[in-house]
Amino acid sequence: MSLSTPETVGGQTAAGITTSLNKGGKPDVAGRVIGVLLLLALLGSLLILLTLVVDLINRSWSVWADGAGDFLSGPLNSSDASQAGVWQGIKGTLQLMVVVVVAAFPLGIACAVYLEEYAGKSRLARFTRLNVRNLAGVPSIVYGLLGLALFVQTFNLGRTVWAGGLALSALVLPIVVITASEALRAVPASVREGAFGVGATRWEVTRHHVVPAATPGILTGVVLSLARAAGEAAPILLVGAATGLLRTGSQSFWEQLGSSFTAMPVIIFSYARQPGEDFRALTAAASLVLLVVIVLMNAVAIWLRNRYQRQW
Amino acid sequence: MNTPKRRILAGALALALVAAACGDDDDSSSDTTAAEDESSGSSDVSGSIFVSGSSTVEPISIAVGNEFADQNPGVAITVEGPGTGDGFAKFCNGETDVSDASRPIKAEEIENCEANGIEFIELEVAVDGLSVITSTANDAVECLSFVDLYALLGPDATGVDNWSGATDAADTIGATVTDLGTPNTPFPDAPLTVTAPGEESGTFDSFVEIVIESGGDELGVEGANVRPDYTASPNDNVIIEGIAANDTSLGWIGFAFVEENLDSVKPLQVDGGAGCVEPTTETIASGEFPIARSLYIYISVPALESNEALAPFVDFYINEGITTLVGTGEGQVPYVPLNEDSLATTVSVWDNRETGTRDGG
Repeated sequence: MSLSTPETVGGQTAAGITTSLNKGGKPDVAGRVIGVLLLLALLGSLLILLTLVVDLINRSWSVWADGAGDFLSGPLNSSDASQAGVWQGIKGTLQLMVVVVVAAFPLGIACAVYLEEYAGKSRLARFTRLNVRNLAGVPSIVYGLLGLALFVQTFNLGRTVWAGGLALSALVLPIVVITASEALRAVPASVREGAFGVGATRWEVTRHHVVPAATPGILTGVVLSLARAAGEAAPILLVGAATGLLRTGSQSFWEQLGSSFTAMPVIIFSYARQPGEDFRALTAAASLVLLVVIVLMNAVAIWLRNRYQRQW
Repeated sequence: MNTPKRRILAGALALALVAAACGDDDDSSSDTTAAEDESSGSSDVSGSIFVSGSSTVEPISIAVGNEFADQNPGVAITVEGPGTGDGFAKFCNGETDVSDASRPIKAEEIENCEANGIEFIELEVAVDGLSVITSTANDAVECLSFVDLYALLGPDATGVDNWSGATDAADTIGATVTDLGTPNTPFPDAPLTVTAPGEESGTFDSFVEIVIESGGDELGVEGANVRPDYTASPNDNVIIEGIAANDTSLGWIGFAFVEENLDSVKPLQVDGGAGCVEPTTETIASGEFPIARSLYIYISVPALESNEALAPFVDFYINEGITTLVGTGEGQVPYVPLNEDSLATTVSVWDNRETGTRDGG
């Protein structure tokens, strides 16, 4: 008997029939075992995450109990735990992210559009794709060295947000290119063909049909790479993020982009190196803050993706 | 979907980030600043100051810098501590305004500075004193000379797990080396357990440089180091606990921590060639206690001319900073404050803007 012809047979759905057929035959043991194993894998991952969060909250409890306001608004101070806070780190991380958004994303998305829509299957395009994939696997500290040599010294940007942000941009650029490429490739060929069919130019097809259709995927990739950049310590440490004390005084936003900076991962690193119970609690608290910042970024990613989701 | 709406939303993330980062242009700790200003009177000094150098001096510069920034909201300050040598490299390259140092500047570093036209002012700011410690239950040992310490903790002591095992070594060294104190042998027949700071610590470096290397130099041992087989910890409290837990333990630690833990550890007298000296705030500040070293800051003269915030910062550093923020009190950095003479020298060197080094070269 075929299950595919009518949607219901004698008032029974296809799924219902399958179930009743299976009941008559041998039970689906392998399916159930796999189902349980997959569930365990999921629960295991969630348990690790839960343990981490609970442990961080537990270790940092004294910091929140003593007044979260002082901690959240305090400066980087790796000597006196009572004065130490994370405000400079939150600010620095957001400033770095602004540079990454401005520098890496337009460039990365443009690269992806070129590779997917314009370059075709030329030797150069294949070579470029291969290299981009390899670059995405280069350890982040190497990008730190690049940032130090190129942005800090050659371009003479100094130990500034600009240099740190550009080093992070170089780090996430290949990831942006790859995720944006995947998103563009996932747009059905029929969309392009339909547009070409009514006489649109390549630019019109790309601009009005392919890129808008790929936007959810591109945005997801973009924000995930932003979260990656926000969590990196090694590159910006090499570029010269402040580790001891940072007070930015009354500098304006633009002045701050051109002066000393620090970031959340660097603050965690600085506090973790200090001896004493106080700094242990501060390290956990700073980790929690970074976690919240990154979760918020991911939430934005999900929101944006859902906002632009299209059904085919 | 209509395009303009989508375009607006597409920038939402970027805009949100810009807004968030823009929204805090004012001083990060405006609350405390406002409170400080009422008491000390606000100042209109502005500029940015970059301090680098010794990680030993870093806590002093952080404490002073933080206080100065509270009182002068127009000043941006960055402090880091990559090490004295790295600090001087940056300093002589004109990258930093102030260089922290746990030793006087070396001749080759001065040449490096001169090559780049960087004149400097050398200011002593505090004294870093170490204490050799044992358990309060240890009555058998009262004083150790540098010779004893070399025999007990030096490279040749590796594997020695009983105090008495180092007696012969101390006698042998004492017979040839005469200016590092006399051996206090025989050592007791008791287990020797050593707990001390690990290699990453500035206190480790200080001990090696002052005690072990001076012994090694006399004996012709190149690059003598501490025996590797001891319990190392970066945490001073763990070291104190380790010393207290064993009746016949031995170790060393920053003097400030000993003062706070006199009920659990006993500081030993140390003979550096001039007899046994008890470590006290006075003997360390005066240099009488042999395991002590001066901590310095070096001020860049070109930076003084170009950076108007630097002179007020140094004024604050030596006139208020080191007199109120160094010591063993709550919120103070645990080093030994300068004695009156040294402080007077520091102040006069600064007031007269005397360049060059007095202690180094």
